[in-house]
Amino acid sequence: MSQVMGVQPVLQRSYRMMLMPAVLAVLIFAVLPLLGMFVLAFTSFDLVKGWDTGFTLKNFVKLTDDKRFIASIWVMLSLSVFGVIAQVAAGTAIAVGLEKIIPRWRFLRGIFVVPFVVPHVAVALVWLSLFTPTLSPINAFFDLFGITVPALLTTRWGAISAIVIADTWASFPFVMLLILAALQGISSDLDEAASIDGASKIQVFWRITLPLLKPALLMVALFRFIETIKHFPLIYVMTNGGPGRATQATNYYAFIQTFQNSKVSYGASIAVFLFIFAAAISFWVARMNARISDA
Amino acid sequence: MKTQYARRLATAAMVSVTTLVPAYAADVDVLLFGMPYTKGLAALEADFEAETGLTANIEVVGQNVFENRITLSFTGKTGDIDVVHTPVIQVQRWVEAGWLQPVTDGVAGMNDKDDILAGPLDAYLVNGDYWALPFFAETGMMSYRKDVLEAAGFDAPPATWEEVLAFAKAAKSDDMAGFAMRAAPGQGFNMFVFPMIMRGYGGKFFADYPTDLTPAINSPETLEALNLYIELINEYGPAGGGNFNFSEIAAASQAGHLAMFVDGTSIVAQSLDPAKSQVLEHMAIAPVPAGPAGRSPTIAVHGLGVPADAPNPEASFKFIEWATSPETLTKIAIANAYPDFTRASVAADAEVLAKYEAINPDFLDLRVQMLNDAIGHYRPLLPQWPEIGASVGEHINAALNGLETPEEALEAAEAEMIEIMAE
Repeated sequence: MSQVMGVQPVLQRSYRMMLMPAVLAVLIFAVLPLLGMFVLAFTSFDLVKGWDTGFTLKNFVKLTDDKRFIASIWVMLSLSVFGVIAQVAAGTAIAVGLEKIIPRWRFLRGIFVVPFVVPHVAVALVWLSLFTPTLSPINAFFDLFGITVPALLTTRWGAISAIVIADTWASFPFVMLLILAALQGISSDLDEAASIDGASKIQVFWRITLPLLKPALLMVALFRFIETIKHFPLIYVMTNGGPGRATQATNYYAFIQTFQNSKVSYGASIAVFLFIFAAAISFWVARMNARISDA
Repeated sequence: MKTQYARRLATAAMVSVTTLVPAYAADVDVLLFGMPYTKGLAALEADFEAETGLTANIEVVGQNVFENRITLSFTGKTGDIDVVHTPVIQVQRWVEAGWLQPVTDGVAGMNDKDDILAGPLDAYLVNGDYWALPFFAETGMMSYRKDVLEAAGFDAPPATWEEVLAFAKAAKSDDMAGFAMRAAPGQGFNMFVFPMIMRGYGGKFFADYPTDLTPAINSPETLEALNLYIELINEYGPAGGGNFNFSEIAAASQAGHLAMFVDGTSIVAQSLDPAKSQVLEHMAIAPVPAGPAGRSPTIAVHGLGVPADAPNPEASFKFIEWATSPETLTKIAIANAYPDFTRASVAADAEVLAKYEAINPDFLDLRVQMLNDAIGHYRPLLPQWPEIGASVGEHINAALNGLETPEEALEAAEAEMIEIMAE
């Protein structure tokens, strides 16, 4: 560890000691399991057949030829791309609305945060009943006017939309909070100058606020993208991967292989793929972000 | 200085370990997952001690926690579980993995062995040994609305799947679904019920189980059954029926929006629950419908087994014998919603009879009749079943919801079965 500049050597040691718990926690709870995952992915561990600890690449070879795995990537990308677009759009719209357009309604911020603190399993149960026509108040309401709302969860794109909707409801507050923070960092002088020059509120938003929010939007989209890759409770509770396999995202498929089919090493190789995929996306976004900041 | 730190750390660690981890002083540590029986059993811990002088620690956890706990315990060979909840659907896999020890000698030594229902007990006979004693046997039944049946002009509940179709057609209206059955994919969901139709039409999973394990699900018989299942749910089922599981079915029936459904006895019992059903006076039950090849009610059996590394198998078996004894089962049947007992003599108990006859006079008799008609390998008893069941269930669900044609679904299901069996 390098010396902290301008701090007395005696303090240096105690600073390091104070850092130890955090370092240990990261080592034990993040680095070790990650190493374990790699070890599993390059060996053959099947709960029923036992553990063959010899090095092998067969899990990864099998991945390239596994139709269910490849289909699961498309499911994951659909859920992530549509989910991130919906959440970022909704979160930004509400944040800008509350901060710039109708500041009187700022007190609503507290209410909008509520969905964010609800555990995902509870979110899933609520939306499952909303999307089950026989239980749903939405269907009951439209039935009054003789309109039949179709059952979302029994079609491929319906089920994907249902998960995206539930996830958007639960996660837009996260986007909203981060964008609100970013908005507070933008000087109001710019808005004022623009409006004095005759720009409308909408022009101010498109020409001034949005460009300045770009780095924050990229960061928040990245956070949400990585979170949506980890989709599990919504799928498990709302669709169980169905109809057919239409909502078996890659993460869910890793769960099936590991815990349902007992193929721990194969499941770990899928997890390694997800890890590398998420890392690559993060790296790419970080580079893009740096380019935007430099410009 | 450093050694002092280390010593302090070690002391702190030891103190926290000894205070946080409760001392398991019990002679028999039992791990179960939540069902009416297991909850009832946990309340009787003291009875076991009074009767045998041994102490028991009965832990009832959620099913997913259970899976994690036993996987750790079995693969780590920790020997910390003396008696384990053993679903029959898992027993082949556990036996192949060497996770259980046989209880054959204990069973041979029981003098009231004949009182145990033969079907559920034989489900635990693998490679010539018994691996658990059953405490729960659920089978299939039909629940239907008498008033809707009469209004539709029928004088008896449908006895065949063809008649189910006719009744569903006649019963269907804007606020009444004609028929419902589990549709959500899963070996314990749609694959718990679909084989009732499949086997009724002569369809089967394998060419000749257990001697010839060539996958044979892609047959004209299964296709006919699948088409009927799809027509029943999509044409006459509730809106969104293609994603229904047992809880949605029970809720629709209790709310009075469902003319008829076929499911396990525990779900049928929920449709007869006075506290929940809004149409209780109209509810009636009937046998599982038959097809051209006969009747094949679903069956699910749970039991108690002994892990391979349990240190004291005699004590373990003593617990199992007590927990599945007529006295214990009777107590639980009276105190809990537990009509799924596995001893014939429990059904003869006056208090048990009175309790379940009050719900429905035919319930217990019909249950025994269905259990007698059920085949033990309704879902094939193979270590690969959990994977096969999941895979086939996904294709059945895909066909139901139009993602695949029925022909494609069966072809793909058979191809995947071949792959899984070859591994």
